[in-house]
Amino acid sequence: MIVSFENRLSRFLGTTAIFIAIILVLFPFLWIFLESIKPPSLGGRPDIWRFEPSWENWHEIVFNSNVPLNILNSFFIALITVVISLICGAPAAYAFSRFRGFQGARYSILAAEMMPPAILILPLFLLLYKLELIDSRVGVITAHLTFVVPVVAWFLIGFFDEVPKDLEDQAMIDGYTRFQAFYKVILPAVRPGLAAAGIFGFVLSWNDLFYSLLLTGAESRTLPVAIAGFWTFRGIELGKMAVAILIAVIPVLILSYSIQKHLIRGIGGSGVKY
Amino acid sequence: MHIKYKLILPLVFLLSGIMLYPFIFSLWLSLQDYRLTRINDVQFVGFENFGFIATDQSFLNAMGNTISFVASAVIIELIFGLSLALLIQKLLIFRGFVRSILLAPMFITPIAVGLMFRFLLNSEIGIIPFYLLRFGVSLDWFGPELALFSIVLIDVWQWTPFMLLMFLAGLEALPKTPFEAARVDGAGRWLTFSSITLPMLRPVIVVALIIRALDAFKVFEYVFAITRGGPGNSTETIMYYIYQTGFRFFRMGEAAAASILLIIFILVFVILIVYLSRPKVIK
Amino acid sequence: MGQVDFKNLRKSFGSTNIIDGLNLEIHNSEFLVLLGPSGCGKSTTLRLLAGLESVSSGTISIDGCDVTELEPRDRDIAMVFQNYALYPTMTVEQNIGFGLKAKKMSPKLIKEKVNEVADLLGLTHLLNRKPNALSGGQQQRVAIGRAIVRKPKVFLFDEPLSNLDANLRLEMRAEIMKLHRELGATTIFVTHDQEEAMAMADRIVIMDKGLIEQVGTPTEIYFQPKTRMVAGFIGNPSMNFMKGEISKNSELKLPIGNIKVNTILNLGQHIDVGIRPEKIKLADPKRKPNENIVRVMVTNIELLGPRAIVKMEHESGQVLTSVVDHDEIGKYELGTNISISLASNALHIFPKIKD
Repeated sequence: MIVSFENRLSRFLGTTAIFIAIILVLFPFLWIFLESIKPPSLGGRPDIWRFEPSWENWHEIVFNSNVPLNILNSFFIALITVVISLICGAPAAYAFSRFRGFQGARYSILAAEMMPPAILILPLFLLLYKLELIDSRVGVITAHLTFVVPVVAWFLIGFFDEVPKDLEDQAMIDGYTRFQAFYKVILPAVRPGLAAAGIFGFVLSWNDLFYSLLLTGAESRTLPVAIAGFWTFRGIELGKMAVAILIAVIPVLILSYSIQKHLIRGIGGSGVKY
Repeated sequence: MHIKYKLILPLVFLLSGIMLYPFIFSLWLSLQDYRLTRINDVQFVGFENFGFIATDQSFLNAMGNTISFVASAVIIELIFGLSLALLIQKLLIFRGFVRSILLAPMFITPIAVGLMFRFLLNSEIGIIPFYLLRFGVSLDWFGPELALFSIVLIDVWQWTPFMLLMFLAGLEALPKTPFEAARVDGAGRWLTFSSITLPMLRPVIVVALIIRALDAFKVFEYVFAITRGGPGNSTETIMYYIYQTGFRFFRMGEAAAASILLIIFILVFVILIVYLSRPKVIK
Repeated sequence: MGQVDFKNLRKSFGSTNIIDGLNLEIHNSEFLVLLGPSGCGKSTTLRLLAGLESVSSGTISIDGCDVTELEPRDRDIAMVFQNYALYPTMTVEQNIGFGLKAKKMSPKLIKEKVNEVADLLGLTHLLNRKPNALSGGQQQRVAIGRAIVRKPKVFLFDEPLSNLDANLRLEMRAEIMKLHRELGATTIFVTHDQEEAMAMADRIVIMDKGLIEQVGTPTEIYFQPKTRMVAGFIGNPSMNFMKGEISKNSELKLPIGNIKVNTILNLGQHIDVGIRPEKIKLADPKRKPNENIVRVMVTNIELLGPRAIVKMEHESGQVLTSVVDHDEIGKYELGTNISISLASNALHIFPKIKD
C-alpha cells in the first residue's frame, strides 16, 4: 500500500512521542539504580556517569540496617490483609454478583473504596491507642483492611459476573448445595480473579504510607515508612535511599505485571463497558 | 436465613467494625473538643469545630491548594493518557512491550516516587536541574512558585499510566464496525475522533476521571516526602492539613470536622461530574 | 454508472490465500449476489472493494478508474454492515447525515437530504432516537438510509439480513429490491442464504475457497450447475449424489444399476452423478423410454406441511432423498419397497478431478 506523506509524518510523530514517554518513565529508575551502585563517596554528584560500580550501599542496607525487618513487616502485613480480604470478600462478591436486591450494596462497596483515609485514621488511631495496639502489626492490618477489602470485593464482582450462571445450576442439579456449588465449582472457576485481586490488594497494602506512618513504631515499621525516614540529604545517605527505593519498587513491579491483563476488569468492576 | 445473607455476613461484620463504626465515631468526634494532650477532658462543643475550620485560613488555603492540584493533575493526566492510548493502539509492533513499560509508574510506592523526584529535581544534587542549567534554565522546582506545580508533575508521572490503562481497555472494547462505516462514509481522522471515538469513550472517561480525582484528593505522600507543606504553606494539601491538625497539634475534634467537610466536598464533586457528563437530551 | 471490474484479485493473510485470483465484471445497475459457505472469501471480496482491506495483488476498478490503492472515501461506494454499524452515540438523523457531514456539506442541505431519505424509508418519526432505542428492522433501515443518502455509484451489502427474524427478513428483502429498482445503482450483496440469493439477484456469483465456482442468473445456477460444489450447495434439500464410472456404450455404472446417457466422457472415467430430489418420482406403470426404474425402501418421512421429504435406501446402501407433494404422500409408506424413476435428462454428471 502506498502510504501518504501525511500518514508517514503522523506515524513518525506518534512513534517519537511514545519514545519520549518511554524515556521519561525509565530514566528515573535508571538514575536511581546508578545512584545505588555508586561508591558512597560519589553520592549526589549529577555530573558523574562513569565510575567503578560498588555494592557497598546494597551491602549496608541488607546487613547493617532495619530494612530487612521492614520488608518482613510489610510482607507479613500485606499477606494477612489480603488473606482476610479474600475470605470475607469472595463470598460477598459472589452474592452481589448473583442475587437480586444487592444493586445498592455494589455501590456502597465502591463508596467504601472511595472513603478518604483522613476520616478513618482518627478513630482508628484512638481505638488502637485505647487497645494498646499502636506499633503492632495487628493495628496496621486493621487499618489496611479498610481500603483493601472494598477493592478486593469490587474486583471480584466483575469476575463472578463473567462466570455463566449455568455452571452452578449444573452443580446444584448434580446434587450439590448452593454453598458447595459456590466453593467447589465457582471459586475454582475464578481462580485467576482471586489471584489478581489478591495481588492487587497486596500491592496496595505494601505501598501504603499514610496509615503505617501513624500506626507503626520501631517494631512494626513498614518499608514505606522506613523509606520516608531517608529524609536527610547527606551524600552518604543517598545511595542507601536509592537501594531502599529499589527494594520497595521491584517486587510490586513484578507482581503487578503478572496481573496486568486482569487489572481493567478489576478496577472497572464491569462498569467500564460500553 | 437465605444463603445470600450468609454469604455477605463476614464482609458486613468486618466493614461495620473497621469502617462504619470508625465513621460514626468520626462524626461524634467532630462535635467534641478532643485533644490527645487532654484525653480525659473531652467536651461536647456542637458545631464549634466546623465553625473554626470553615474560617481557618490554613484550611481554606489547603482546600484551595488541593483543588488546584486535583484539577490540573487530573486534566493533564486525562489528555496525556488519552493521547498515549490512541498512539499505542495504532502501534503495529511492540505494543505489549510499550504498554508494559508505560504502565509501570502506577504500581510503585508513592513515597518512593516522591523521594525519587525530590532527589532528581533537587537544585544542588539533582540531575535534571544540573542539565537544565547547562542550557541556561535555572528553576527552583521546590521553591514557592513552582513547588505545587512540581508536585502536580510528579502525580502526572505516576498516574497518567492509570488513565492510559483505562483508555486502552476502553478503546479495545469499542466495536470495530462503526469505524469501518466511518471510513466508507468518508470521515477523516479528526471527524472520526471527535464524533465517534470520543462520544463512545465517554463512559470510560467519566469513570476514569472520577476514580483518579477521588484518589488525587487524598494526595499526601509527595507532600510528606518532599515539601512537608512548604515553602510557607504553598503545598499544604487537605490530607496534610488533617494530618498536621490531628497528629502534630493533637486536635482530633477539629481534624475530624475537616475530614467530614472533605467528604461532603467530594460527594458534591462526584454528583456534579456525573450530572455534567450525562448524555445530553436531544430536543 | 457503476461498473466494477476485478482483475486477478488476490488477498492473503500470511500464507493463507483468502482470495485466489478472482476475475469478475459487474455490470452497471446490476444486482449481484456473492454467495458461498462461510469462509469462502465473499465478505473479503466485498471489503476489498470497499477499501477496508488492502489487496495483495491484482486490481479493482470502478467505471474504468483504478481504485485499488484509494481510501474508501475516494471510491464513491456505500456499505451496509451485517450488524448495521450504526454510530451508537448519534441520533438517527446524525447517523444518516454523517457521510454528508464528512463531505463538508452545509447543515441545511444535509437536513434536507436526510429528511428526504427518512421519508423514503419511513424513518421520519424516529429521527431523534438513538440506535439502541430502535428495533432490529429499524436499525437496518437506518443503515440503508445512511448508504443511499450519499447516492454512491455502488452499494455494498454485507449479510445485512442475517440478524433479522424470518418475517422481517422477507420484508426487508422486498424493500431492498424495491430500492434497487428505484435508485438503479449497482448493488453487490453478500449472503450465505441461497434462498435470499435466488430471490434477489440478477446474477449470482458462487464462491468457494477463494475462487469463483460459477457466475450466472439464478435459473442457470439452479438448473445448470457447472461444478459439483455448486450443484451440492444450491437447492434444499440438496442434490442426491452417486459415485460411479463410465462403462462401455456410454453407460453410467452406478450403485443403483446401469443407466444409459449421452456423454462425451471417456470409458473408465470416475464421476459423480447428481439428481435433484424433486426429480425423483414414483415410477409410472406406463413406462416412458427415458426413465430408469429403481426399487428402493422408504426409510424415513418428514412432513413439512405442503411437502414432505422422503428418504429411501437402495439395496446397495445408496441413500436417495425425494421431495413429495402433500397429496402424493399416501403412496409412500414407511418400511415398504417402491419403484421410483430417475429421468435421464434430469441427471447432472460431474467428472471427478483427480488430485
